[in-house]
Amino acid sequence: MTADYEAFRAEIAAWMQQHLRGEFESIRNCSGLGDAGYDPKLAKRWEQALARGGWVGIGWPKEHGGRALPLAQQVVFHEEYVRAGGPGRLGHIGETLLAPTLMAFGTREQQQRFLPGILAGTEYWAQGYSEPNAGSDLANVQTRARLEGDSWVIDGQKTWTSWAHESDWIFVVARCEPGSQRHKGLVMLLVPLRQAGVAIRPIRQITGDSEFNEVFFDGARTAGSLHLGAPGEGWKVAMALLGFERGVSTLGQQAGFEREMACLIDVARRNGAARDPDMRQRIAQAAATLDALRCNALRVLAQDEAASGGVPVSREAYIAKYVWSNWRRDFGRLAADVLGAAACLPDDDPMAQKLRQVWLFSRSDTIYAGTNEIQLNLIAERALGMPR
Amino acid sequence: MDLKLTEEQRQIAGSVEQLLADASDSARMRRAAFEGEGFDAALWAQIGELGACGLHVPETHGGLGLGVTELVLVAEQLGRRLACVPWLESAVLAGTTIQSLNDAAVAARWLPSLASGERVFTQDIGLLASAPPAVRREGANWRLDGVLAVVPAAMAAQWLLLPVQAGGERLLLAVALDAAGVARQPRVNHDATRPVARVSLKNVQVPEADCLGRGAAVDRALERSRRLTAVVLASELVGVAQQCLDLTVAHLAQRVQFGKPLATFQALKHRCAQMMVTVELARSAVLGAAREFDGDPQEGRSLRLATMARCLADDAARYCTQEAIQLHGGVGFTWEFDPHLYFKRAQAARSWLGTPTGWREQLAAALLDGAAA
Repeated sequence: MTADYEAFRAEIAAWMQQHLRGEFESIRNCSGLGDAGYDPKLAKRWEQALARGGWVGIGWPKEHGGRALPLAQQVVFHEEYVRAGGPGRLGHIGETLLAPTLMAFGTREQQQRFLPGILAGTEYWAQGYSEPNAGSDLANVQTRARLEGDSWVIDGQKTWTSWAHESDWIFVVARCEPGSQRHKGLVMLLVPLRQAGVAIRPIRQITGDSEFNEVFFDGARTAGSLHLGAPGEGWKVAMALLGFERGVSTLGQQAGFEREMACLIDVARRNGAARDPDMRQRIAQAAATLDALRCNALRVLAQDEAASGGVPVSREAYIAKYVWSNWRRDFGRLAADVLGAAACLPDDDPMAQKLRQVWLFSRSDTIYAGTNEIQLNLIAERALGMPR
Repeated sequence: MDLKLTEEQRQIAGSVEQLLADASDSARMRRAAFEGEGFDAALWAQIGELGACGLHVPETHGGLGLGVTELVLVAEQLGRRLACVPWLESAVLAGTTIQSLNDAAVAARWLPSLASGERVFTQDIGLLASAPPAVRREGANWRLDGVLAVVPAAMAAQWLLLPVQAGGERLLLAVALDAAGVARQPRVNHDATRPVARVSLKNVQVPEADCLGRGAAVDRALERSRRLTAVVLASELVGVAQQCLDLTVAHLAQRVQFGKPLATFQALKHRCAQMMVTVELARSAVLGAAREFDGDPQEGRSLRLATMARCLADDAARYCTQEAIQLHGGVGFTWEFDPHLYFKRAQAARSWLGTPTGWREQLAAALLDGAAA
């Protein structure tokens, strides 16, 4: 799949070289908010530069303003983007999660209202799923929504909301049928974040930074027409949204991990950790496993390409989240061990800084987007067919 | 790199799977292992008829001219059934060594009988350290004296590929195992489905014509063969791990305790899920490595690929065989149930073609010791 796109690769590399410079120099290689030096204002201007270059919505159908590139070519874009030092994408939630859901479930008006802002990098989205009492048990949603005249009125609280303080809109799963239970009686609403009824409070993370937020809704309002799918069928829409992330960006993420690995090797060679026999075994195992993650991602993509839409999830797809997140968590600990005392003693070395960031941030990888424990449940019950 | 399997590749895997479901079910595998010295001649003939002994041998030499991907697909099925055939030794290890010498005359002489399965080949891979045999020149022939402590498949094989040092010269000799002066003694092996023997050589004559290669070409061929065979061995171990997972899931589904099937307990479900994680990741590693080996990767790359496949498959086989015994409970410790056979294979395989620790150290040296990147 890689050999076919040499010209496309070169085009991306050249574009990145031409544009990721000047004011954008400071966010090169930044993984996202929480990275020292990642300025959200700058990141948004970068998103707009990408949009002008035609690099947003490259997989979207042409009728919605996309380029309809095949899966393999989208993968190539993500790989080259990361390889060139492209910063974490602030527009990711809108582009890869909400947009496909809008295309599948949205009205013509909703599509025309929201897709252009995502495509141009002028409107940013947050995801309103988790609540204090609806984490792994997502169906326990308690945020309420009621129609009042021509508006939805929302009361409740969402949490772990990435980038809410930098976003304009949020899609919210809320209970619209009082007394309903679990998956029933839910609605998916599109809600403006900048209004009096919404309060955003950053959550300080173990890194010391804040990427996640609590979002409080106290009589917050959105237009009565801004429910995605039918009221009462919010669960179906919410689950479909999670299914749209079809692993296209996985190889971009993989390229990011490969850069972290190169960084670790560089530090280990400089500080002498590379001479320790136990460390050598662990570094080699980490490198070998990282290569295997790439093979697994390619296997998932081969399946996706072979049969698009509505295919049962393959066994390699079931393990994907579990294996990459656990690899990275182990890698984080290895990175700290390679740093030695410097793991806890910040200095100016950018490589060491990166490794310290991975060490702490990777503890979240096995928790968000389905914890390790939920992943194992899914594997046992769905892939192995063991009873619930 | 595209990891989709072709229709033909799926058919090859399917036909071997089908054959082994009967021909190497637990009862027949055990009969071959414990009553037949670990060699099922009838099954070997059937595998030969499928063309599986010459999968990656060029068609001009009687093979199917396929690649490493086909090899790993077949290997996984053989590993899953612990099939008592010297396929890895003959078709893969010796077959790859001979091909890697890149000598047309050698290939034409040796590969056809190997590819048909008519002759069984094996190779000395130094499983237990023993003094190298003494080699001396005698006219146009060589004479060998010494003892090879452990040679895989030596009882079933007709030919042994033996790398030796003759004075200052490196040679790869083919030793006829029925030649005068060769004595073979089967060794008790806990991994009974992969039999080994002690081979003693007393003044054994090897004619000049049976020297396959000399000098640096021998070591190059041996190393290429070691790496490729390590990937195929890894696939066999994926089969071992997969079978342990399947046996365990089936056992937990039917065994009732505390009034319900064990399979309903989350602690046990998570253990099975973790087994599947190791199996699928190792399978991805093997398929990825095989696909790249099909393109004959350069030196540094093949080391990295073989290390990946070998180490991840080792992790999967060790974890899944251990868990299979534990999760079967008491019966997991009995001779009657199969997990112990897989457990023993997984352990024995660790010493084949370099230990996982050795592979990792080699990779570490490549990553960490070179000139600064």
